[in-house]
Parts: sequence; structure tokens; C-alpha cells
Amino acid sequence: MRKILAIIWQALSIAYSDRNLLLIMLATPLALATIIGLAFGGTGSGDISIENIKIAIVNLDGVDENGANGQVFVDLLVPPAESAANSNANADTAATETSDDGGVVCGQTPDEDSSGRNVLFDLTDAVEMTDAAAARAAVDTGDLVAAIIIPADFSENLAYTQDDSTLDPTSIEVYGSSAALISSSVIRSITESIAYQIATGNIAIAATFDTLIERAFARPAFGLQFQSAAASFQPDFSCAFVPSFNPLRLEAQTVSGARVEFDPLVIFGASQAMFFMLFTAQGVATNVLEEQRTGTLQRLLVSPTTRLTVLIGKLLAAFINSLVQITLLFFAFSIVASLMRGEIRLIWGTHLPLVALTMIVASLSVAGLGVLLASLVRTPESAGTIGSMINMAMGVLGGAFFNVQAIPLLQPLTAFSLIYWGTDAFTKLSQGFTDIGLNLLILLVQGSVMFVAGLWLFNRRLKV
Amino acid sequence: MPETMVQARGLVKTYRRKDGSTVEAVRNIDLDIYKGEIFSLLGPNGAGKSTTISMISGLIEPTAGDAQIARYSITKQPMEAKKLLGIVPQDIALYPTLSARQNLDFFGRMYGLGGAELHKRIDEVLDFIDLKERQKDRIDTFSGGMKRRVNIGVGLLHRPQLVYMDEPTVGIDPQNRRRILDTVFRLRDEQKMTVLYTTHLMEESQELSDRVGIIDHGKIIALGTVGELVQKVGEEDRLILKVGQQKIAAEVLERLKQVEQVTSALYDPPQQAAEGADEATDGVITVFAKRGRRALPDVIQIANDASIDVLSVEVREPDLEAVFLHLTGRALRD
Ligand SMILES: Nc1ncnc2c1ncn2[C@@H]1O[C@H](COP(=O)(O)OP(=O)(O)O)[C@@H](O)[C@H]1O
Ligand SMILES: [Mg+2]
Repeated sequence: MRKILAIIWQALSIAYSDRNLLLIMLATPLALATIIGLAFGGTGSGDISIENIKIAIVNLDGVDENGANGQVFVDLLVPPAESAANSNANADTAATETSDDGGVVCGQTPDEDSSGRNVLFDLTDAVEMTDAAAARAAVDTGDLVAAIIIPADFSENLAYTQDDSTLDPTSIEVYGSSAALISSSVIRSITESIAYQIATGNIAIAATFDTLIERAFARPAFGLQFQSAAASFQPDFSCAFVPSFNPLRLEAQTVSGARVEFDPLVIFGASQAMFFMLFTAQGVATNVLEEQRTGTLQRLLVSPTTRLTVLIGKLLAAFINSLVQITLLFFAFSIVASLMRGEIRLIWGTHLPLVALTMIVASLSVAGLGVLLASLVRTPESAGTIGSMINMAMGVLGGAFFNVQAIPLLQPLTAFSLIYWGTDAFTKLSQGFTDIGLNLLILLVQGSVMFVAGLWLFNRRLKV
Repeated sequence: MPETMVQARGLVKTYRRKDGSTVEAVRNIDLDIYKGEIFSLLGPNGAGKSTTISMISGLIEPTAGDAQIARYSITKQPMEAKKLLGIVPQDIALYPTLSARQNLDFFGRMYGLGGAELHKRIDEVLDFIDLKERQKDRIDTFSGGMKRRVNIGVGLLHRPQLVYMDEPTVGIDPQNRRRILDTVFRLRDEQKMTVLYTTHLMEESQELSDRVGIIDHGKIIALGTVGELVQKVGEEDRLILKVGQQKIAAEVLERLKQVEQVTSALYDPPQQAAEGADEATDGVITVFAKRGRRALPDVIQIANDASIDVLSVEVREPDLEAVFLHLTGRALRD
């Protein structure tokens, strides 16, 4: 027992000394909540006063056959030149390679609803520029709050193909004005969030936050660097930011015959939170595999410590991380919701102990998935790739990106997604229902089965 | 009969590669290591030293055979056996972002230590490896030699009766290496520990060992004290002629064997720069002779007649290198 505590403590202290992870854990919930909140709540209402932040996007990214990732930024932030053009145009340009599946995702909403304007257009006042130096100069003079500079080799480096299987680091520069810290950090969060969405679709992200800090000290303006690697899976995330493509914009839904007020922040937020939490839990796999690479895992295993003890320690560390993550996410969503309505709102419902219980159970089950992943793959890199693919699949099936109910073929598969059961439970709780026993049971069973399978595979692999 | 600390019988490890072929990393090793001795396992890279250590430390399961540590079977009573054992792995196995002290603390806990006792042990170990001043610094700020010392320290925390050190001097400077060799003696003499030390360097083995096992291709091909092993090759000196990249005809060796005093002559061809190695090695002619210095002029004469450019000549008294050469026909190098 004391050994388990030591293992947990050790894993957590290593994780939290990683500023890059901390940044993702803290900043992304706020960015996510703000974006979703703005998407559904509309702008100008409530107390959100940050809007029309003047920025420039310099997209040096060459279009290549793997999809123009840089263009995603432009499409999301810069309104189309002809005012008549609506978000459909954005989606078309952004959904390049995935147009087949992407058609299912985005193309399914034929209504040319004018409310389908991309909310980011309101939040920012973005222009596209072609000259990086000019954009930086404009920031320096105060004409712009920030410049987002996408390098020429952005898509190319993110691409993962048969012939080019190397994963190249690439970086996006956010050149922000130190005079407008809050606005520029919003821009940074958004950039990061978009990049994160691109990168998680492509593979896991490793933001070198150390570099960011160094650069922040070195310059009055701050910089942001991402190191990303890529896989062939490239879903089109722009849809997530465009309300007209998002079936979740339903404001009310009929439940048991009665109309129930429905907060879109809850279902979209819950599924996004569950989805995001998977990436936190994935950290346990990376951690175990990195320990195997450095040999510290072997060192643990030649000490009088059983494999079960080691894995339970890792499971619980992942559990704590996930719990912290989902708690932060839920707070962020509540705060944004309250700000937007100008009053304190408990959007997750009033059954707080049950909400907490669901958070705990959901965290345990994603930790189980993390342990299974650690035993399935052999290197930290493949944990990133395969983990992201599993997470994406769960996200798609669990409704984190679009309404799965609309696609009958996928419906039976939703039962496999942790995200589905978690989101469903949170949604029920927020509507005042408490019949979440089945959800919790299934989450627990799925988590335990994955942990036991992970333990078994781990044992088998180490015997070699 | 001295008390046995480690007793391995019939150890076999066969790895299966992805393509279905198998690698016999260790083939039927028997080993007895006595209490309080420094036992070294000497063999070239890939001989099976690390695999043997992994099996007798309970990290990997033997394909066949078993080992006992103070009568606890490593496969059947692993927890009891592991408590007695301290391990210094070949590659540095530490958490780079934690400090030296944090590393020691964590692994100490994994050996069931805690509280004031652990604190005291950590201080002792830091003293022993002479890193008290740097204990609060992160491992990734340390030099290679310092990391090696922490790597050793972690293996000593719980005052094991038995320590395995797998090539602990690889890749460090002579000064730090000297320090580590001295540490090994102190473990035996001051701490009364039993040490199993692996190396591919015959000088280390010769200096450190009470007894040596020479391992090659997964088998122990000779075992005994340095003196006993050297006797196996007879009281023969070795003449070592470095000849660079030139081709040496077989008949040259035949002629060398005709020289008075000479018993045999071997040629070890040059090796191309392997991956990772800096440069190609020279070809070497080794001539065994009962009295090396007597035979030297004739040997040089023959080389001259065959117009071989001799880069250097060395006369060596019998040593473990000679034993290895004698048993395998190959030089002990990587
Ligand atoms: N996990 C493994 N899978 C396949 N072959 C291995 C594995 N580990 C070691 N080997 C092979 O076993 C042999 C012995 O390796 P090792 O014990 O590391 O040698 P040494 O420590 O003496 O240099 C080598 O040929 C090596 O390639
Ligand atoms: Mg080795």
C-alpha cells in the first residue's frame, strides 16, 4: 500500500513538473468552454466583453495533398470576403481529404441558416496577411493584438503518409502584443485549441512550453511553439466550431414526453470534457512506456514490488489526473455559463454528489483505458498515435463531434464508447434525472475489464 | 567449501524474433557465486551477460532452468530473493527530471524503506557515491560519470547482500572509471557484499575478480580464478603485431609457426568501422611463444620478408585476453 502511494506520488510529481502538460490541462478547458459558450450563447449577451480582437493570420502553409492544415486557421478566423458566403464555404475549403466522411460530418446540414455564422468571426477581427514581418510590425505598433504565423511546412510536417513516415516537429508562432495581454492570451488559447484539435486528429501534441517561456523572457511579445507529429487520421474539426453544422444546437429536446430546457453547454461540453479527459488518461500509457525505455520500469520490477502494484499505482495516478482534468473542465464550463447569463448557474444540475460520483467513475474508467493502452503498444510514440485514434473513435461514437443518432449505422456502436455513457449520465443529471445507475455500472465494468486485460497483457509482454 | 550466494542451473534463454527465427542468447549456463567474492562475467558484446543478469534477477523468465539467491528460487519465491539483491543496470535507469535525492527516495520506498531509516540510508549512500553536494540537482544536469554513480547508489540503498553490476564503466572517462572500480572493492571489503560484475574489458576483470567466468555465445567457456585460467594457456607470452588494413596470406602464419619457441599464430582481420564505432580497427597477428622475446627477431624477419608493414609490436605476458583468444580463436573486443 505504501508502495502504491509512492508510485502515485512519483508519477504525479513528474507529470506536474511538466509545464507543458499543466498548460494543456489548465488552458484548454477555458478555451474550450469559451468557444463552445460563444458558439451557443451568441455574442454580445452576458458579460463577455472580449470581442473583435484585431489579429492577422499569415498562412505560409503550402497546400499539399495531405490537407491544408494552415488553411483551417484562416477559415475559422477570417470571414469570407463576400458577405453572402456562409460557413459552408469554410467547411468546403477545410474539409479536403476527408470530404467523404467529412460529408457525413458537415454536409448533412443543408439549411443555409444565417445563424450558422462562425462565432470566432465575432470574437476576432481577423485579416489574412501574406507577409510575416509586416504582421509582426503591426503588432509592435499596436495596430494588431496578435499575429498568428503558420509556417510554410506546417501541413507537410504534420502529414503522415506511407512514403513519409517521419513525424516532423512544426511550429506555429503566435506573436502577441504585450500591451494587450488578456486579448492576446485569448488568441493564444484559441490558436492552441485549434492546433490541438488538428494535432490530436493527426496525433498527440507536445507543446514545448519551455521554449515558450524562454521566448517570453527573451522578447516583450510572447511566442508559442508546438511540436506536433502526424498520423493519417485527419478529421475535419472546423465543423466543431461552426454551429450550423452542429446538430447539437437544438435548444430543447423532448424527454419522456415533456419538453425540458436543455443547455447545449452541457451535452456538447460533457462530451468534449470526456473526450479531452481521454487524452489526459493516455498520459499513463506514455508514462509507463517511457519508463520502460529509460529502464526505470525494469528497475521497479527487480525490486520486491509486484507488477500488479506497479500497475495499480499507475492506474490511480491516471485516475487522479483525469479527475483533476474533468473537474477543471466542469468548473470552466460553469464559470463561462454563469458569465454569459450574468448569474450563477449550476449547469450540471443540483445533484452535486451524483455529479461528483459520475466524475469519479468516469475518471476510473478512462484510467483503465490508459492502462490497457500502456500494455497494448510498445513505444511512447505509438501510444500517442494509437491512443489518439482510439480516443477519436470513442469521440466520434460518443457524439463529441456530431450527433451520432443521425447515423443509424453507427448507433449500435455507441455502447462501446466511454464518452457516450459519461456524456449521457452528465446530461441526465443536468436535467434533474438521477437514473444513472446503468451508466455508472457500464463505465465501471468497461474500466475494470480494460484494466484486467491491461494487467494480463503487461504480464505477458514482460515475461518475453 | 565456501557458502554459495547465487546458484544457477541450466539457464537457457531463447528469444523469438518477429520473423520467426530464434536467438539463443543464453545456452545452458550453470553458475555458482560464493558469498563475499567479486565474481566477474567477462565476454564480448552480445555474449549473453545482460540476459543472464536479467534472468537471475527475476526481470525475465528463463526459457529453462532456475537460479537461487541464498536458497530462494528467483522464479518461485521472487519477492524474498529480490529483497536480498541490489541491481546496477547497464543503462542508466533514473528519472531525469527528479533530483538525485528524489530518485534515491523513490527507489528506497520500492524496497520497503521509509521514514527516518530511509533518510539515513540516503545520506549514507550519497556519502558513499560522493554526491552529497549535488543531491538536490536534477539528474539531467549531471555528467555521465555522476549519473553512473547515482545509478550505482540506487542499487545499494537497501544494503543488499548481493549486488549485480552490469558493465558499470561503459562510456565514462578514466577518472570516473577508476572511482567505480575502487567502489567495487569497497563494497566487498567494507560492506561485505557479494558482487557479480560484468564487463567486456579484460583489464577490469583481471583487476577486480576473485573469480572469473568467461562467457561467449551464451555459454560459459571457462571459469576460475585469474591465475587458474591463465594457466590454461600455459606459460606462453603473446606477440601482438598490428598490421593495419593489409591482407595477410595464410602461408605467412604457417611460416611463423615454424619459428623456434612459437606454438601457434593467429590472424584477426581488420574490422570495418561498425555503426557507432569511430574508425576501423587494425588487423592483428598474434603469435604465441614460450619465450616471447626470444622469438621476436625471427617473427619480425618473417614479416619483413613478406613485406608486411608492421605498425606496432607488443610482447604480453599471459592474461585473460590470451585465454579468450586461446579458447575462441578471436580477440576479446567489440
Ligand atoms: N529482447 C531481445 N530480443 C531478441 N534478442 C535479444 C533480446 N535481448 C538480447 N537479445 C540478443 O541476445 C544476445 C545476448 O544479448 P545480451 O545479453 O544483451 O549480451 P551482452 O550483455 O553480453 O552484451 C544478443 O545477440 C542480443 O542481440
Ligand atoms: Mg549487456
